[in-house]
Amino acid sequence: MQSTFYKYTGIEDMLKFRKMYRDKYGGVCELSQIYDVIIIGAGVVGSAIAREFSRYKLKIGVLEKELDVCCGTSGRNSGVLHAGFTYKTGSLRAQCAVEGNTEFEKVAEELDVPFKRTGKLVIGFTDEDMQSLLKYKALGEVNGVKGLEIIDKERLCELDSSAGGEFAMYSPATGILNPFAYTVALAENAKQNGVDFYFNNEVLEVKRENDIYNLLTGKDKYQARWVVNSSGLNSAVISTMLGIDGYTIGGFKGEYFILDKKVGKHMNMPVYPAPDSKGGFGIHATPTVDGNILIGPSSELTKDFEDYGVTSEVLDNLIDKGMKMFKPFKKEDFIRSFSGIRPKRIVKGTRQTLDFVVETREEVPNVINLVGIESPGLTGALPLARRAIALFAEKEKLISNEKFDPIRKGIVCFSDQSNEVKKELISKDPNYGEIICRCEGITKAEILEAVHNCLGVDSMTGIKNRTRATMGRCQGGYCQTRIAEIIMEENNKTREDLVYSRVGSYMFKGKVRE
Amino acid sequence: MTVIKKDVVIIGGGPAGLAAALQLRNRGITDIIIIEREKQLGGILRQCIHDGFGLTRFKETLSGPEYSQKFIDQVEELGIECITGTTVIDITSKRKITAVSRKGLLEYEARAVVLTMGCRERTRGAISIPGTRPSGVYNAGVAQAYINLHNTMVGKEVIILGSGDIGMIMARRMTLEGANVKAVFEMQSYPSGLPRNIQQCLNDYDIPLYLSHTITNIKGQSRLEGITVSKVDEKFKPIPGTQKDYTCDTLILSVGLIPENELSLAAGVNLDNRTKGAIVDENYQTSIEGIFACGNVLQVHDLVDFVSLEAESLANSMADYISDGKLPECKINITTDANISHTIPQKVSGKKDFKLSMRVRKPLKDCEIDVIQNKVVIKTVKLKKAIPAEMIQIKIDKTKIRSLGEIEVVVVVR
Amino acid sequence: MIKKYTCIVCPNGCEIEAFIEGTTIFKIDGATCSKGKEYVKQEIANPQRNIATSVYVDGGDLPLASVRLSKAIPKDRIFDVMNEIKKVKLTAPVKIKQIVIENVLNLGSDVIATKIIDRIV
Repeated sequence: MQSTFYKYTGIEDMLKFRKMYRDKYGGVCELSQIYDVIIIGAGVVGSAIAREFSRYKLKIGVLEKELDVCCGTSGRNSGVLHAGFTYKTGSLRAQCAVEGNTEFEKVAEELDVPFKRTGKLVIGFTDEDMQSLLKYKALGEVNGVKGLEIIDKERLCELDSSAGGEFAMYSPATGILNPFAYTVALAENAKQNGVDFYFNNEVLEVKRENDIYNLLTGKDKYQARWVVNSSGLNSAVISTMLGIDGYTIGGFKGEYFILDKKVGKHMNMPVYPAPDSKGGFGIHATPTVDGNILIGPSSELTKDFEDYGVTSEVLDNLIDKGMKMFKPFKKEDFIRSFSGIRPKRIVKGTRQTLDFVVETREEVPNVINLVGIESPGLTGALPLARRAIALFAEKEKLISNEKFDPIRKGIVCFSDQSNEVKKELISKDPNYGEIICRCEGITKAEILEAVHNCLGVDSMTGIKNRTRATMGRCQGGYCQTRIAEIIMEENNKTREDLVYSRVGSYMFKGKVRE
Repeated sequence: MTVIKKDVVIIGGGPAGLAAALQLRNRGITDIIIIEREKQLGGILRQCIHDGFGLTRFKETLSGPEYSQKFIDQVEELGIECITGTTVIDITSKRKITAVSRKGLLEYEARAVVLTMGCRERTRGAISIPGTRPSGVYNAGVAQAYINLHNTMVGKEVIILGSGDIGMIMARRMTLEGANVKAVFEMQSYPSGLPRNIQQCLNDYDIPLYLSHTITNIKGQSRLEGITVSKVDEKFKPIPGTQKDYTCDTLILSVGLIPENELSLAAGVNLDNRTKGAIVDENYQTSIEGIFACGNVLQVHDLVDFVSLEAESLANSMADYISDGKLPECKINITTDANISHTIPQKVSGKKDFKLSMRVRKPLKDCEIDVIQNKVVIKTVKLKKAIPAEMIQIKIDKTKIRSLGEIEVVVVVR
Repeated sequence: MIKKYTCIVCPNGCEIEAFIEGTTIFKIDGATCSKGKEYVKQEIANPQRNIATSVYVDGGDLPLASVRLSKAIPKDRIFDVMNEIKKVKLTAPVKIKQIVIENVLNLGSDVIATKIIDRIV
């Protein structure tokens, strides 16, 4: 992928640049120091805040309880860049969605992440649906969304022949992106600009002494002048820990199906049902930027914020609703299912959802508190980050970091290249000629780059999220053994050390023969 | 970019590809290349270290590696060209093949192509087992590769879902290596694999087999901690109230094999929805001229001896194709009744003897399989028992076939 | 009394019935070939099994060489034989049919390699 900010003169140049880039931005930082800002939570919002803060001369650290970025809600959604037509006018949701939507071409270019402004169809079947569409079209226009139009069945079919519906609202501003790629890119850009990331560090206790916050995690102690709470599902808990009590997060769990890429080519853009009276979308069908289709999500209240299991009752319902949105839907095209939990800020004891919170409080100095960030958190991540920094700037002068570089390069996708480029890549680096993930066409060169990522993540799912390896129809049946071997070899890990995704998710019980 | 012209390109150097290459050579075809993505030839047999291979062909009971080595030795002796560590990434309907290896990108143009890519395993995701996503859930073939090829033990307290041969083989393999295999659960009311494997892999080691059961929940936040099983009814729906919990750290899935036909689809080959493999005629030629298929990529086999025979039959037809430029048209379709899952081939010319491969859909006793054309029974096979796990092969004489009229294969239960 | 067996000699898996009185076998029914009859007789007298497993290889292109037994051994000695096999450390190269343990535990069966392992320098 080429960016307008750095144009390669050829393959040789590209590989040289990337090696220099890796050598320059890799590296380990020392542990004992007082940070200017510590950010709790490395989801898309936390990573965006880290990246935006790194524009300034500040020592920034991020504490994340899992072993990688993007493990919570950020990685468990439809991957949609929302236009902003369902949110209350003037709300943070509405503002951040529209802002984030408008600027995303530039962001995707800077961070080298895949993005398609596909448009979106919100389909309807009944008179009630039409009323709903008209309502949200009007709301969208007030919010600043461009190009919304009500279209008939003929135009609907033209735009996407696989979509159901008698009529629809077409939103040309909506787009799709890969939430993993985006979060990883934000985090890597932050890291290359000097931010430290600490994984497996769940914040357990916070104490303020002598104007310094002392954060105790399961692994270590950290000190910072400012703390940013961007911990998603745990944001109410962390908020209380920091001294701002009274928030309630309701966990609304949603389950999804992923369909094979074979059917992915039948769908051009997300197809959603007309929203209900509260603006909530039901189960929808969304093509992913990588070519799969997602059917979902459902919505059930859950008290267990760690329960990402999928249930058979919900899956049956998804099949039923999914068929309405996406006509060619067949059960045999399933690859897998997954779930996410929306951290909605609610009025305690009810299901009434409230707006995002991005605040500071006089009585709790130097804390920037983000609570209840769910959809459109992905779309609004950078606008939210800028608002967080604006709150910092109210109290302290921001000095520009002249070394800040907004450009971050992702891993080159071999299978996207022409045969000529493929040939050149292999001749410069034979690792491009060794296919590791057969279903997605991922080469050893890409796996190696992922294994040596600058954040130091090397769980199996960490490699999966950076390359798409194991995401194909065989789900790692061919490549998993090879990726495991590469991780162990490159990072000098024993079989017992190798982890699948979360802390404690060991993969093996040692050798068969010593 | 220079395109290399070849008479025959064989995609996949497992038992099917190797046998096809040798028979082509026997028929005088020398301009052959086998393209294999692993570093060594042998295909899936490399990891099938148990015996039971070669009983009909070599009258010996060999392990997988020994069986394939017999073919590899001959291929080497005859100097048949092979490239390993090379993955085919594309094939067109004009038989243009693109492959990559550490050495670079290669393009071939073949007069004939043999598709022998084998199959992949059905996954947990594809059958949507509810529950969490801990580590410790492995497909049987993957566990087998880890244990037999990578010297890696995947777990200690094991539950197996699926009584297919590979699941039962792994039950025994893991027990021998000190694991505690607690049970095998099978959704059907009969075992999916061969009876001899129930005896020598399960009964021998006191591993219980529960039929009509399936897993309804997977538990564990990081590593697998346990599973819930339920009994199922005839429609495979869990029966409420029959749930039972088991603790375990490893779940091995043996829930079916799917022919790996992504490349075939790229070439425009038509697949049979029942087998997920190509629709072929008596020559094993697919819907695309010059592209042939055999082995597990065509239909999932239970005995490698039959794979080798199928490949040799393909090679004989291909040799005729190369010397004559084409093969007689196959217009006679073969259909089945509801008792039979599929037949290979799906169409014939009527001008050639051919071998019909088929499977029954459920276990049958004392049955008769009739091959009927134009209301006339052209062949009958009587069987004391027939099970889905065992492929049935029926030889059909060309003299019995009319030039017109669909052939129907039916089961008559006495 | 009638005892039922599934023969494991070949994939047919014939279901064989043996009519036994005390230690005398009166009749064996259901075997398609003579091997089946022999198998059942052996099962009654002293069940025998073959096993397939792996041994560690040093300096080879693969870490393990697969092995099996040249002849079946008594079923109740399987894990004793496994323990002997676990102790073995081979050095590459390894040839097929190479004897890894001769006459293991004096049971009249050799442990033989079933895979070629090349030496890597």
